[in-house]
Amino acid sequence: MKTANAATSLRLLVTVLVAAACCSGTALATTGQFKLPEYEKFTLDNGLTVYLMEQHEVPMVYVSLLTPGGAIHDGDKSGLAFLTSEGLLFGTEHYTKSEIEEALDFLGASIQTSAGLEVARITASFAARDREKVFAILKEVVTGPTFDGEEFEKRKSRLLVELAQVKEMPRAVVRDYFHGFLYGNHPYGNPVRGTPQGVKTVTVEDVEAFYSSAYQPSGSAIAVVGDFETDEMKQAVIDLLGDWQATGAPLETIDLSRGIPRHKKSRVLLVDKEDALETTFIIGTRGIPRNNPDYIPLQVVNTILGGRFTSWLNAELRIKRGLTYGAHSGFITNRVTGSFIVSSFTRTETTFEAIDLAVEVLGWLHAKGIDEATLESARNYIKGQYPPRFETPGQLAGLLTSMFFYGYDESFINGFQETVDGMTVEEANRLIKKYFPRKGWQFVLIGRASEIRSKASRYGKLTEKSITDDGY
Amino acid sequence: MFAVPWLLVAGTLLSPQEAAGEVQTFTLQNDMKVLVLEDHSIPNVVTYFFWRVGSRNEVPGITGLSHFFEHMMFNGAEKYGPKEFDRVMEAAGGANNAYTTKDTTVYTDFFPSSALETVFDLEADRIAHLAFDEEMIESERGVVLSEYTTGMENSNFRYLNTYLTSVAMIAHPYRWSVLGWESDIRSWQKEDLEAYFATYYAPNNGVLVVVGDVSFDEVKRLSEAYLGPIPAHEPPRPVRTVEPEQNGEKRIVLYKQVTSPNVMLAYHVPETGSEDYYPLVLLDSILSEGNSSRLYRSLVDETQRATAVFTYLPPAFDPTLFYFYGVCSKDVSAQELEEGMLEVVDRIVSEGVTDRELQKAKNMRRIELYQGMETLKDKANNLGRYELFFGDYRKLFEAPEAFERVTAADVQRVAAKYLTADNRTVGYLLPPEKEGE
Repeated sequence: MKTANAATSLRLLVTVLVAAACCSGTALATTGQFKLPEYEKFTLDNGLTVYLMEQHEVPMVYVSLLTPGGAIHDGDKSGLAFLTSEGLLFGTEHYTKSEIEEALDFLGASIQTSAGLEVARITASFAARDREKVFAILKEVVTGPTFDGEEFEKRKSRLLVELAQVKEMPRAVVRDYFHGFLYGNHPYGNPVRGTPQGVKTVTVEDVEAFYSSAYQPSGSAIAVVGDFETDEMKQAVIDLLGDWQATGAPLETIDLSRGIPRHKKSRVLLVDKEDALETTFIIGTRGIPRNNPDYIPLQVVNTILGGRFTSWLNAELRIKRGLTYGAHSGFITNRVTGSFIVSSFTRTETTFEAIDLAVEVLGWLHAKGIDEATLESARNYIKGQYPPRFETPGQLAGLLTSMFFYGYDESFINGFQETVDGMTVEEANRLIKKYFPRKGWQFVLIGRASEIRSKASRYGKLTEKSITDDGY
Repeated sequence: MFAVPWLLVAGTLLSPQEAAGEVQTFTLQNDMKVLVLEDHSIPNVVTYFFWRVGSRNEVPGITGLSHFFEHMMFNGAEKYGPKEFDRVMEAAGGANNAYTTKDTTVYTDFFPSSALETVFDLEADRIAHLAFDEEMIESERGVVLSEYTTGMENSNFRYLNTYLTSVAMIAHPYRWSVLGWESDIRSWQKEDLEAYFATYYAPNNGVLVVVGDVSFDEVKRLSEAYLGPIPAHEPPRPVRTVEPEQNGEKRIVLYKQVTSPNVMLAYHVPETGSEDYYPLVLLDSILSEGNSSRLYRSLVDETQRATAVFTYLPPAFDPTLFYFYGVCSKDVSAQELEEGMLEVVDRIVSEGVTDRELQKAKNMRRIELYQGMETLKDKANNLGRYELFFGDYRKLFEAPEAFERVTAADVQRVAAKYLTADNRTVGYLLPPEKEGE
């Protein structure tokens, strides 16, 4: 494959590919303006926000329900939010776990739950004609999960094995190590799937309590996108979740703006994986929150640095030097702040050639800046690649609920082209000065320490741990 | 989005014939076939160039060359020199990628409709006049070595699959992986690439699929102008080797730093599109699609011998392998997991599948068809895949009906026929044995 951004087979997701955290983008000034399709938004009496958008291309319906049940609330029970989201499907009043799975599989439908750092999601997809059958199950999954104790213990013991297994794939864990290193004890450093030490302490009672606080209609949003008539779906959603009521006190608010470590000096975390064939690395720093007004312009800058195939990073590390299969950069955004990372991997022997080069390329932002021809190309690219990001009903449902939580609206979509077109060279170089520090970058290397330890400290104060140590 | 309904007219699903009728085709004088599907839902276009060349066309010494060639297609031609293909495409708002399988190599472009002619110009240049710059070959060799290494590092499946397949297959070129062997990656030469180009990148050996915000007439005009002048070549020599029947179980044991053992089984099965293909796909689904599937239910849920389990039936021009893969839970041995997998297999062979299971697998195929039509790229990829693997893109729309015709007895019959001990290769990936044990 030319680059690793395309997933091959959904059923073959054994290799975890770290996709470029980038951007998007687009075309020669041109063609039709891309606009978000019309949708209806309203709030139910219980406080649940609802979005409905008709999309009739295929006879399918997609649901995305967002709650604030993310891993920043884990506290000392690392993995709590994750196990709670998994537990929603362990059974309800009228369905056992197996019955839920059998009923959905039979329809070719799905209800999936997931937890992230700040939110948890429940998504569903099904043929339009099966709506009643799927909603009957979805209603109980959202409003009345019973967290069967036996299923919980089974999942927990499997998770503990998975947490060890995932470390066999450095690219699947390098971000967790980086965010732990960058954020320290701040909740943004929490690994979503938890640590073995934390997971062992999570009980079914913990999960029930977390559900009561984190899964409530107020503070949550549901988007339904697909092949339906809005009036009919409005009633169906009212029937689905109109009588959903909170069963506990809401989550305690965490002041996430406090306690974020500031790193004036560069530091290096070396994670020893004694059988590693290659070194997997991230060079990163503090980034921006999702609602930062410079979000889109920064995507344009990142496109040039590491957000596309001909980006500076990929051109130098891959195209010119053949050091790696891919080098990327991107912003990872949360509500209050985020990170900016450069990531790549290379054979153990070429570790420092690759990292030195990545550091040099980062320096070009300040040393060379961005010129008009490069900017023009990046503007076109980011505009041209933009529409396919919101092409499917599932993508649109996810977008609508994200807008709800992260505080942006369709002007982000509809004004995208204009914002990008308005980017000037001066603006780009101003953003570089403001958002890309010259110093204080944080380095995480996963590889064979015996081979790379002696030179790793050249980038900053060195800390070392073994990949088999608990957590990240 | 803001879609012109394609599969639906006023909420009614189009018949397979009607849906297929939305696709328009023509064949250039050089015998390159072009499929066009107009879809104005977003102001974008995708082009998928399918070539009938993959690792099955290789021989020892050049294993992995098809995949390396795929990379070299981005490294310079006559009009657009090294690095120009990507530079020009991205400046026009386009992105691209490519993938190689054992049977095919596919080049994919995703771009705003304003870049349509630029893309034809870029593609025609490299198809007609690819150049091989020595410096680019060496740099790209490093890239592919990194791709090889990162796959081995990050995927136990890939590691076990590569070695197990080389044991399960003894004659047919499916026995090596798409990436090839490391020694070949390190040794192939410019002449190997030139010979490959002359042999396989003939317009008569390719199919172009264009989906998106285009008009059929425009695509036809540009195809004739840019691709039409490229001469047809002598068709490539067919792959002659037929894998002999396996007569007795084979086993392979490998060692790697893994948390718990991994187990893989492989059974020889016929090629995609063959008579037994449709029941095999449903068997594949009944075994491992969804948490209510046989393997998941038995091994992950009930006995908890595995943390993950799945089956994989790759698309293939020639007879291929049907893989089973499982990862042991803590303190479960490879033998125990293997036994558990075989019990599931044996039960299907002896007792068959239920009508409900069969219907479930069929229902899943229909939803899969819908979901395979949600994006421009999925439409293009699926149309091209069916054209190459089934000989006709229209088979895509007929697939749900073809699956409907399969009976529970058919599924049991193919299970009994292929999932036998003599037809099986078993692979273990184990943690290294500690000294003194």
